[in-house]
Amino acid sequence: MADATAAVCNLAILEALSGDAVQEISESYVGFCAATESLLSGIGDLSAGSEMARHVHRLCKYQLHSLVWEHFLTSLEENFERNGAVKFWQHFEPYRDISISEVDRSHVCDDQIQEVLCKALEEISLENQYQKKCLLVLVDALQTYKDQVLPAKCGAVTKKEFLLSKYQLMISSVLMASLPRHFPEILRWYFKERLEELSATMAGESTDHFDSQENDEMDVDGNNRMPSESSRMDIDGGLHGDFSENKLIKNIGKVVSDLRGIGFISMAEDAYASAIFLLLKAKVNDLAGDDFRSSVLDSIKEWIQAVPLHFLHALLSFLGDSFSYERSSDIKSPLASRPLSCYPGSDNLSEGLVRWQLRLEYFAYETLQDLRIGKLFEIIVDYPESTPAIEDLKRCLEYTGQHSKLVESFISALRYRLLTAGASTNDILHQYVSTIKALRTIDPAGIFLEAVGEPIREYLRGRKDTIKCIVTMLTDGTGGNPNGTGNASDSLLEELNREEENQENGAVEDNFNTDDKQAWIAAACWEPDPVEADPLKGSRSHRKVDILGMIVGIIGSKDQLVNEYRVMLAEKLLNKSDYDIDSEIRTLELLKIHFGESSMQKCEIMLNDLIDSKRTNSNIKATIGQASQTSTVSEDSGNSLDILDATIISSNFWPPIQEEVFNLPGPVDQLLSDYSRRYTEIKTPRKLQWKKNLGIVKLELQFEDREVHFMVAPVHAAIIMQFQEQKSWNSKKLAAVMGLPIDVLNRKINFWIIKGIIAETMDQEGEGHIYTLLEGSGDSTKNGGDGGSCEELLAVDDEGEGSVASVEDQLRKEMTIYEKFIMGMLTNFGSMALDRIHNTLKMFCVADPTYDKSLQQLQSFLSGLVSEERLDFKDGVYYLKK
Amino acid sequence: MGTRPLSDGIFFTCALPSYTMLKEDEIYRSMISWHAVASWTWDAQDETCGICRMAFDGCCPDCKLPGDDCPLIWGSCNHAFHLHCILKWVNSQTSQAHCPMCRREWQFKE
Repeated sequence: MADATAAVCNLAILEALSGDAVQEISESYVGFCAATESLLSGIGDLSAGSEMARHVHRLCKYQLHSLVWEHFLTSLEENFERNGAVKFWQHFEPYRDISISEVDRSHVCDDQIQEVLCKALEEISLENQYQKKCLLVLVDALQTYKDQVLPAKCGAVTKKEFLLSKYQLMISSVLMASLPRHFPEILRWYFKERLEELSATMAGESTDHFDSQENDEMDVDGNNRMPSESSRMDIDGGLHGDFSENKLIKNIGKVVSDLRGIGFISMAEDAYASAIFLLLKAKVNDLAGDDFRSSVLDSIKEWIQAVPLHFLHALLSFLGDSFSYERSSDIKSPLASRPLSCYPGSDNLSEGLVRWQLRLEYFAYETLQDLRIGKLFEIIVDYPESTPAIEDLKRCLEYTGQHSKLVESFISALRYRLLTAGASTNDILHQYVSTIKALRTIDPAGIFLEAVGEPIREYLRGRKDTIKCIVTMLTDGTGGNPNGTGNASDSLLEELNREEENQENGAVEDNFNTDDKQAWIAAACWEPDPVEADPLKGSRSHRKVDILGMIVGIIGSKDQLVNEYRVMLAEKLLNKSDYDIDSEIRTLELLKIHFGESSMQKCEIMLNDLIDSKRTNSNIKATIGQASQTSTVSEDSGNSLDILDATIISSNFWPPIQEEVFNLPGPVDQLLSDYSRRYTEIKTPRKLQWKKNLGIVKLELQFEDREVHFMVAPVHAAIIMQFQEQKSWNSKKLAAVMGLPIDVLNRKINFWIIKGIIAETMDQEGEGHIYTLLEGSGDSTKNGGDGGSCEELLAVDDEGEGSVASVEDQLRKEMTIYEKFIMGMLTNFGSMALDRIHNTLKMFCVADPTYDKSLQQLQSFLSGLVSEERLDFKDGVYYLKK
Repeated sequence: MGTRPLSDGIFFTCALPSYTMLKEDEIYRSMISWHAVASWTWDAQDETCGICRMAFDGCCPDCKLPGDDCPLIWGSCNHAFHLHCILKWVNSQTSQAHCPMCRREWQFKE
């Protein structure tokens, strides 16, 4: 084959060759081949070199250089393939299976692998070196010939370089071609183990050795390419390595350089890079964990600086950093240009390091970000406490820019975990608010917030109690609410409060709301579509408005919210026994800021009624003194007027109030009429109309062995008072006395039965029940039987019927006006879709009362009719029920 | 309740007498306070003001708070209006003002 090639190559000069010359060529070629053979096979013996040189010279005389070195390389390759590569891979043969299953590697195995790897690498590099020497012999031979013939030529160096690189290429291609699949795995694993060892030693010493400048030079000789490196390590002081660490790094450096020697540059880099990344990932996971209460980013960065960068620094300086220097010239990272104070070494090294640092930090950011995004739901659940985690996430996202990942993952988490039938509306709202706050930190532009918030809003719109919950969130948390929802509901009021404070601060700064008018204008300017508002220009207070705005955005209009608030406020005010409405006033003032004064007008009147009532009440009390002398009627009850307080309301401005008629006990009735007479005296042509079922009565029931305190509705008080004169009542008779229907009475009296005050027995004679007042001894067991005065303050009845008609009831009442229209329409048209009914109503009901209901309201009314079985609903159209 | 029996033994003998004895004022003793709710209304014959057509129990268009801040006023003809409404009316008339309802000469009652 070689002969043939030679023959072809030299075809042109073949003619000129004499028989002797041919003879000589073939002889020396055979000699050369033999010499090559002996040179390569004789380990450590270069004696065949001179023999070979002679043949080479002779061959060169006939211009056969290429033939010479090609043959030489081919035989080198064959030799290497036969000896080096096979032997090298054989070392790793036992670990073929182990390396596949990563889990059950033991430390024994680790040591073995390390040993084997080192040994194998050493062997192969020895082999390598020997072969290189052989190659150098050839080069020398070629060189001497050249020197003889053309003494002035200087192309020799390039020839040598060329041959060496050719050789390198050959070696690595041979190895690569026969690369077992598990070898990269072994490498990676090796680096991982070493790095862990290293980080362990570093973690151990970084505490005590942190700023001690140590002078033990890293023993980096044996590689004289970089004589300056060791001194530099002293300068930067970042390497506080002691002996064990140095040795470790040296070992690793040795392995890496050996690997490079056999052409595994990228594989080695891959291996230790992936090892570093693995370690970094583990570290991030370890540091970040499930604790959102502390910021971990800085400690991660510190760790990167301390362990992997330290390691890389040592490694790169050990290796002379040649490869990263080559690459760093073309791609300049913007961050690489910043001055690096901590590594004032040569440019190439620090640039390589910066590159690494950027890579590592990006990776750390990304890992942390992924971790945090995965847990974002939990983070937001405990939002105010998890602020550090949010801050971390924000910084990570700033770096990586993968916001869309956040949105996607968070939305799916929401769908899966929050927006389900099992979650209470309150929780959803709370999470929504937290989400708004948290995401605002991450993304001040509000773009992703919009994307994330939409599913929640969409879902909440489908819930019936959303408005109620929102209002509760808005108004509660003032401390007056004992039923434990305090922490869940105080957030919004808190929000409003804070905003108020901010506005007050703002007022100092820029004379913002010094006068009411301006405040009103500011409130009026505020429109619920704050999502689009530019938060960059908005101050902090603007952002707060945003939160409320986003909540109002769930409902769609503030009117519904205000209406619901009015109902709740009415309920609350009517159940007040003192006139303490400070917190309500505060809430109202805050609401006025947000919703405008006009929409809160009715609520304001309601509060005003309370204030007026307080004044009137004390006025009436004040007249008692004089009145008791003149009036004869109130002679016996005059002093007892003290116990009567009244809330006097302007009923036009309150939500419709549910009235219930029953007879009050005579004395109380007397008191009330007395009170209203006095009222009329004071406020002349005005008079009072008592809402007998409303209000609150404080009772102290005295039994022989105890006193019990109650706060009850008037109707309950009236019932129990009947039992003072007569200890047991037939239900029918009692109902007649009370002026209540029997079933209502039975329901009401349950309150006392539950409290253990009244016992219920069946009447022997017929239908109806006997109610008997239980005297103390009967249920002393209930109170622990300690006799003395046992005070109980019980909450108002929890029968769930409010004193104020709910919004739904109001709506139903208003809608009944249109019922006839709807029925008429359906009779005429047979069947109609919701839209059509809505539009027709809008078209025809223009006169008093104008049809002003929303499609949703109509729908809920119609579904009410369906459930009453008056309409039928099928395939999206309504029919009359036949 | 000073006469309350101190032990159960005595209680059984005198429970009833003490109860009936205290019956008269028991209700007040056992009732600490009664907080009632009432609504006020102007004792006018009509529902709405003839001038602004707003409810008497509400307030005139210029007012925000009903009641004392926006009182009613009766003319000698016994027609009632919001004070602010009728004042506006009276002031707008150049000569003698008349009751908007009955066209009689407007005189404030008393």
